Amino acid sequence: MIQTGTYRRPRTLDEAIGVAASHQGPHRYLAGGTDMMPSLQQSGEDVMLIDIGGISALKRVRTDGGGFTIGALVTLHELTEHPALRASFPALVEAAASIATPVVRRSATVGGNLLCENRCIFFNQSEWWRDAIGRCLKCGGDICIASGGKKACFSELVSDLAPCLIALGATVTLHTAEGARTMPLEQLYTGDGVKPTVLRPGDLLTAVQLPDEGRRAVFRKLRQRATMEFTSLTTAVSVDAQGGITIALGGVDPRPVVVRGTASDDRATLVKKAWKGARSVENDMLSRSYRRDMIITYLNESLQHLLP
Amino acid sequence: MERMHMRPLELTVNGRRVEVLVNQNETLARVLRERLQLTGTKQGCEQGACGACTVWVQQPGEDEAPRTLLSCIAPAVRHHGAHITTIEGIADKGRLHPLQRKFVEKGAIQCGFCTPGMVMTALDHCNAHPDTDRQGIKEALCGNLCRCTGYKKIVDAVEEYALEASGRRTPAATDPDAHFRMVGSPRPGIEAERKVKGEAEYADDIFVRNALHCRFLRSPYPHARILAIRTQRALAAPGVAAVLTGRDLPISFGVLPISQDETAMAVEKTRYIGEIVAAVAADTIEQAEQAVKLIEVDYEPLPAFLEIADSLADCGSKERIHAHGRFNNNIHKKAELRFGDQQEGLARSRHRIRQQFRFQGVTHAFTEPHAATAWWDQDGLTIITATQVPHYLHRYLAKVLEVPMARVRVVKPYVGGGFGGKSDPFPHEIIICQLARITGRPVRTRFSREEVFLTNHGRHPTEMTVELGIDDEGRFTALDAEIAIDGGAYGSFGVVTSYYNGVLLQAPYRLDNFGFVTRRVYTNKPQSGAMRGHGAVNSRFAVETLIDRLAEQAGMDPCDLRLRNFIGEDCLTVGQYRITSNGSALSLNSVRERSGWDKRRGRLPFGRGLGVGCGFFISGSALPIHWNQYPQSVVHLKLDLDGRVLVTSGASDIGQGSDTMLAMVVAEVLGLSLDHVFVLAADTLLTPIDLGSYSSRVTFMAGNAAKMAAEQLRDKVRAAVAAVHAVPAEELILERERVFTSDRTVDLGWTEAVEIATRKVGALNTSGWYNSPKLGGDFKGAGAGLSPSYSFGAVVAEVEVDPATGAVKVLELWGAHDAGRAINPLAVEGQLEGSWHMGLGQALTEELRYHEGLLLNANLLDYKIPTTLDTPEIHTTIIETNDPEGPFGAKECGEGALHPAIPAIVNAIHDAVGVRITSLPIRNEEILHALRARTNTPATA
Repeated sequence: MIQTGTYRRPRTLDEAIGVAASHQGPHRYLAGGTDMMPSLQQSGEDVMLIDIGGISALKRVRTDGGGFTIGALVTLHELTEHPALRASFPALVEAAASIATPVVRRSATVGGNLLCENRCIFFNQSEWWRDAIGRCLKCGGDICIASGGKKACFSELVSDLAPCLIALGATVTLHTAEGARTMPLEQLYTGDGVKPTVLRPGDLLTAVQLPDEGRRAVFRKLRQRATMEFTSLTTAVSVDAQGGITIALGGVDPRPVVVRGTASDDRATLVKKAWKGARSVENDMLSRSYRRDMIITYLNESLQHLLP
Repeated sequence: MERMHMRPLELTVNGRRVEVLVNQNETLARVLRERLQLTGTKQGCEQGACGACTVWVQQPGEDEAPRTLLSCIAPAVRHHGAHITTIEGIADKGRLHPLQRKFVEKGAIQCGFCTPGMVMTALDHCNAHPDTDRQGIKEALCGNLCRCTGYKKIVDAVEEYALEASGRRTPAATDPDAHFRMVGSPRPGIEAERKVKGEAEYADDIFVRNALHCRFLRSPYPHARILAIRTQRALAAPGVAAVLTGRDLPISFGVLPISQDETAMAVEKTRYIGEIVAAVAADTIEQAEQAVKLIEVDYEPLPAFLEIADSLADCGSKERIHAHGRFNNNIHKKAELRFGDQQEGLARSRHRIRQQFRFQGVTHAFTEPHAATAWWDQDGLTIITATQVPHYLHRYLAKVLEVPMARVRVVKPYVGGGFGGKSDPFPHEIIICQLARITGRPVRTRFSREEVFLTNHGRHPTEMTVELGIDDEGRFTALDAEIAIDGGAYGSFGVVTSYYNGVLLQAPYRLDNFGFVTRRVYTNKPQSGAMRGHGAVNSRFAVETLIDRLAEQAGMDPCDLRLRNFIGEDCLTVGQYRITSNGSALSLNSVRERSGWDKRRGRLPFGRGLGVGCGFFISGSALPIHWNQYPQSVVHLKLDLDGRVLVTSGASDIGQGSDTMLAMVVAEVLGLSLDHVFVLAADTLLTPIDLGSYSSRVTFMAGNAAKMAAEQLRDKVRAAVAAVHAVPAEELILERERVFTSDRTVDLGWTEAVEIATRKVGALNTSGWYNSPKLGGDFKGAGAGLSPSYSFGAVVAEVEVDPATGAVKVLELWGAHDAGRAINPLAVEGQLEGSWHMGLGQALTEELRYHEGLLLNANLLDYKIPTTLDTPEIHTTIIETNDPEGPFGAKECGEGALHPAIPAIVNAIHDAVGVRITSLPIRNEEILHALRARTNTPATA
């Protein structure tokens, strides 16, 4: 049972950031809540919930000459149903449709998915469970249990949109107390499983900018069931008009693993680079070796599909 | 709950405006269920992973159609001003919505716990997509887990609704005669309307006034001595009424009289991570949870035994898990039987294969978490609890609480699935009774999904070596099995499981030389117990996959090899099981034909394959657990002036449809429609004893008892009418709610006949019973697996294997099962489809995984029940062989069908890519490695 200090529902972005700035204790922004609520219920963290669900400015998909701006509060369902996105970015729609279940996607948002808490089978557990095993780095302990005692956290990035959007060259906009800034999506992630994103308290991710550059992309997701699964491995590979290749992996590292190259590069070398970049441990129902093995299979298949 | 955190919340729920004061952390599900008493919305997982809590929400100011929402993870406060629709708002002034009607008619409802969420999701989908199709429906429902139906009848119901609602299909005319058609005619469950409207009350839906809430402190150690427990701080915490520890309830219990090895809470030491060490009753759940954290326990950790091999070995200086047992190891039970001459048989085999197999533990994963409420009053103790076995709980509450059975009443409400997981007396049930006794207030509890997993009692993790041989004629020469099963910390049904692993291999094939030894070990993990297909699922898998290999070696078709070896009807097995009706060959021939086996098996492109498996199971155990002369089932009937027959039975309907079965049997004999039959079941005060819903016994035993009682009642009515109208009683026919002679010289309506029959004597009462005939051989262990009747079945599965990833997809499943005679074909199909679906889960994705004794995947995201999208199209055939002793010829259909499903899938994988699987669940990487080993492909780039 969570012990939230207080609940607020601001109407505007500035109000939300203001509420966060003026609050003494910890806070969390509440968007769809589908990822955050179960983990808050499990951990019992005492936080203020700032419900941003009423900020209509963040719920729009806008197009301009160069591409799309997707508001952070656009739901995954809306994303999958958006005619223009379906036409221009089928891989992105496929990625969105692969997330959770249809009912979850009615609430879950694009921003929420990008900021989805990293997962690890030793972390996504009740407080009792965490105490029983001895706490890991990600919940106040001093070692990683999954890796057998390492001093780094290997919880996995599980956003399926993140690798896909990175492969598509997306940027994101953060609103902070100092104002707005836009950065490549890739730079949102720190690689530290304990604190996987660069967001500081009060910062709010407000939008994703997706350039319409005619990149072709392939999305793949490894999971045991056809639905209702966090990813065990997500791969997104894109090729742009100039033959530039972007490979992005999710589910096998605390951050998206990104490798860039060109169509003239040796494919095996590119694939190997991605494979080497993934710091995965035994923290998923599928084994580490199988997930790593599938990086190669998926990337080879994806590259073959894009550049036959 | 502190007042400063309370906020007013205004909602419009099902058109009714309500204002409640809620805690900021309360979920919408909790507000609906506990504050508004709208308990149709269910909580199955508390993490949005099962869909049972699905409602519709329309936020203020939004003009869009309402959207579906998982209310168990939605903070209520954010929906201030919203319009909410729950399952209670779907029917129109009590009249079922057409989709609800389809759920009822199509048999889409078994336990009913997932039903409200299914209806909410399906109706939302159909409203948004009137032109939807079968695949679209499966995609829409893929977030709603069902453990009973295999989804087939749910998808059928939604599809038919969608077709009719959109005018693509005209509704079929209803059959006016169906009202009177009983045995052999498909009928919706008699409680299905209540379930589809969200009105059926499950244990957690029943709010007894002034109840305390109980929460538990659980052991963080797999094996540790308890040195001290300090409860003072917890006792002093706000709202706390009582705290209990193991020493307060020291009397041992266990479902089997021969394994009374468990206590309600750990007394001297804890034996698994998750075992209950202490319990708190407080005014609110939160207070109980807070107080639990204030209990201090000093433990002295002991070396833990976590693997079968550790527990088989001598313990040396390490302390055993249990002190009883003759040797210094953790073997709980060794069961061994041998018949014929195995060595001789194996020696003359043309082909013989000896193979090791390994199985992970799986669990029932019923959708309804355990829940119960108990109280004491002047009549003694009453407990309302989600149980399959009210009678055994009755006994053990009396034993542990030291009260006469006459002062204990166990009431089973609607139960959201069991599959064996609610067939033991449980610690939490005993604990809340004791808390209620010492506090003088009702005490309720409800498990989190994590606690459900920790309670387990699922299928034993198993290691076995099995050898099977065939001779030149393709006849089995001998079967040998050496089996070790991981029982976890306590006994449960484990002694039975130990025997069933072996003895249930002696059919459906003729085996003259057969033997096995099973060792059940204790380990420091949550206990294993009985789960659907009890005991024999894993060993059946071993045998059926070996048969496939022997067929390959002998150059025979696997179906032909099986057909050559089936044991036939009216015979004895080597262990002296009496086989009566036997539908093995009919089942196998059915799936062979329907799947196009002869034309397709072995001829599909690489990556695609067909496989077959067969099965065999008991129809109830002939020997009762408690050795006494009381019948295994008793059914009472009461017929009063109003013409309604009250059926009382201790049988537990847990979704399988036993209440409906009883009603149909009685109505059939008396020539009534179900309007004149009312079933009151599973209340140990009001109903006669039935041993419970386990071992597939209810239709056979309670069905026979009901039939006997109904026949007695029929005879009483006949005798009374015959006396008044001066006709021979045997000439009176009871049909279509009339009592008449064939020449119609007497022709009375049912109530007229009842008026005659009750003159001067008042209500008529009859009592029917069932006791198994004396069966079996004269040797120790002969009783294991004895049953008055046995079921048989076969499955063909078609799979697709991706050679690049090793991923397996089951595309189609054809199943046939000899159920003797289907009293209610709709329910029988549902049982079969659910069984095959559960086999699919164990084959492909389900396992309990531990890390140093701690369960890693105690939730429905990581314990992976197949969803609609993982479930193939299922093609169901009921085989009828008319068992000579079953009620109207009926026998088992609820468990045995699971057995052939798993080997059929694995044999199909071999047909697809040539890889043999010997451990479950099937791992993609194992297939991949086997394929690579064959082609010498490197494992990595």
